[in-house]
Amino acid sequence: MKILLAPLDPVHDAGLKLIKRKLEALGYPCVLLPPDITVEEIGEAAIKEQADMIFVGRTVGYNVEQLFRRLRQVLTVQGIFGKVRVAIGGMAITDEMAKGLGFEAGYGPHTTIQEIHALIERNPELARHITHPVKNKPEFPFPHENIFHDATAQEYLDRIVDNILEWTSDKTSPGVIRAHITESQLQDVHGSVESYTALPYTRDYLAQCDETVVDFFQKNICPPSVRQITQNEIDAFNRRVDIAKKNFHPRVLRHGRTKPLVFVQYGTGCPMMDGMHIKVAESWGADGVLHFDPAWGARTEGLMDGFLTNAEDGTPVTYANLSLIKRSLDAATLWTVRAHRGLNTPEIAVLSGFLGADMSKINIVYGSICGGTDPARLTVDGVDAIRIAQRYGMPFDIPTNEELAGVPPQKAFAGMLVMAALGKRLGAQPILKPLLCHGPYVMVNEYMEQNYVDYNFAKIRALQQLCDFPIWPGEPIGFMTHSEEKEQSAGTTSLHAAMCSTLGVDAITTASTDEAFSRGPITADGRVGALRAIQEAFRFFGETDVQPTIKADKWQEEIVDGIKQTLKNAAESASFVDALYNGVFGDKNDGVYPGRAGKNSIAVAARRPPQPTLAGV
Amino acid sequence: MTTARDTIVDALDIESFVLCESELEAKDLIGKLMQSLGLARHVIVSLDFNGPGAHFRVRAYMNKPGESYTWLKE
Repeated sequence: MKILLAPLDPVHDAGLKLIKRKLEALGYPCVLLPPDITVEEIGEAAIKEQADMIFVGRTVGYNVEQLFRRLRQVLTVQGIFGKVRVAIGGMAITDEMAKGLGFEAGYGPHTTIQEIHALIERNPELARHITHPVKNKPEFPFPHENIFHDATAQEYLDRIVDNILEWTSDKTSPGVIRAHITESQLQDVHGSVESYTALPYTRDYLAQCDETVVDFFQKNICPPSVRQITQNEIDAFNRRVDIAKKNFHPRVLRHGRTKPLVFVQYGTGCPMMDGMHIKVAESWGADGVLHFDPAWGARTEGLMDGFLTNAEDGTPVTYANLSLIKRSLDAATLWTVRAHRGLNTPEIAVLSGFLGADMSKINIVYGSICGGTDPARLTVDGVDAIRIAQRYGMPFDIPTNEELAGVPPQKAFAGMLVMAALGKRLGAQPILKPLLCHGPYVMVNEYMEQNYVDYNFAKIRALQQLCDFPIWPGEPIGFMTHSEEKEQSAGTTSLHAAMCSTLGVDAITTASTDEAFSRGPITADGRVGALRAIQEAFRFFGETDVQPTIKADKWQEEIVDGIKQTLKNAAESASFVDALYNGVFGDKNDGVYPGRAGKNSIAVAARRPPQPTLAGV
Repeated sequence: MTTARDTIVDALDIESFVLCESELEAKDLIGKLMQSLGLARHVIVSLDFNGPGAHFRVRAYMNKPGESYTWLKE
């Protein structure tokens, strides 16, 4: 098979040179003509060289159709067309256009050598991994030792965790009781969505709920912004999802590195809109997605049921809604359901666990001082939720978005490490989730006046110095560095992603380019914009690292000292719950206050036996 | 599905540059532009005025969460 490569262009022939080199490496004899030739000369060369196939390239886009029409006419007159195979390519060429003009195939700027090889051999299998790529679900979190390196920090953490488990051992709450009722019901119906949704409400469950939820079940009254989704809508949505799945060709954002995975958070208010955004995010390379529920859902005792859509931010957590979203996911997509900060934390962990969610999200500290939930209540519920996550094999991430209120990272990180130690003690898999943000504390202290790199490096390296757990910056990366302008927003997200790649973190959560836009819902297009920018940043840097200045070392030391001091203060408090109430992990000067939702709702329960392991939290 | 517009998942963004002498004038022009396109339900996402005019992105929501989506109608 002899191949003639002809650049039908005044100067550009780089593409054909590349194809020639690669085809020769595959064993094909090739002849490359010089640029700036005529269509007649192409035919003459094909006859002279006795070529079996001709690739004609045209980089410049204007008048291409006219030019290639003439090429075909000339080759026909010369007796070549129909005898010698001819494919055309270039910046403006598509396969459809080429075939429409009568050529065998067309190749655009992103055509791979495997596709050209498959074309030459008329064997699509040679390019199957390109044309029909397969993406497997990553084993996540990636392996870590899950240990603390610092003996002093570990000693404080041991004491704090001992206290949490002792303090909660004889306490329960409406949230814990509901979770156990729900779990029992789900076991009875073997997790079936139809059977669970058809179950009548129980008096035991409603006894633990707020009036809003009681009205929903007893009077069929939805909250003002919520409505029930019709069966027709669900059927039509599922058909849309099936079409998306049929046409799905996975993309990988990373270039040369296996980390970080890229997650997208959703929670438009509607599970169907979420589902469509998820399909968009998956198609543009996201490795995983996170479910965000509405703020009122966290402050209401009890969960509603059935297929519900909300006209405001945050998608209601119901077993049916989660199942609808779960159905829309690609098999390779990692799925996290946020449980962490409200009155339904254990119950959400049960629902997501039953549906096979890959991960949960639980942080007692954040939820107590920044999420509006009473510290004592969330400590009881949080411990129970971690136990549930452990039972269902769901690792849980620990967000530290209290930094957005003004809490210094050293205090937020200390709280996160307490949760990691608690999770480890309970046999669960914690994931650290530091926030990379231009938050109030950073602004006031001018840590990012010069750049966004040094202080973020200091934060991540401080954690890496103290322990070895998976690290997944979120939620999202670059918080408060975005503007409403799409280009700027995509730019700052992508640069934060590139920085995270250098830092060797396991995953990141990306914003959309609508991150700073607050006058309407996030759009699917905004998700594409951010993911494309991240892909380009990963392509640009490859395995090249970003380097901070020497300031990062000094700030890293300060953060480590601050974390240890906060842990010491917590360990020396009367209890962990007292530490939360008294502002050890953040106080009014840091912009946070103990939450009040669920205050005085804890009840006495039969004492749980002590957790057996003390050493090596 | 009946029209191309019905296939838009959520919003139609228009980004361009208008020649004008102030941010206020830019907003007025963008409003008139969207009205002329029959996109009354719109919001300016970003606007940056300088020199010859304004770089802007304006958004018309076709489907907002919680509504009955055009792309689910058959």
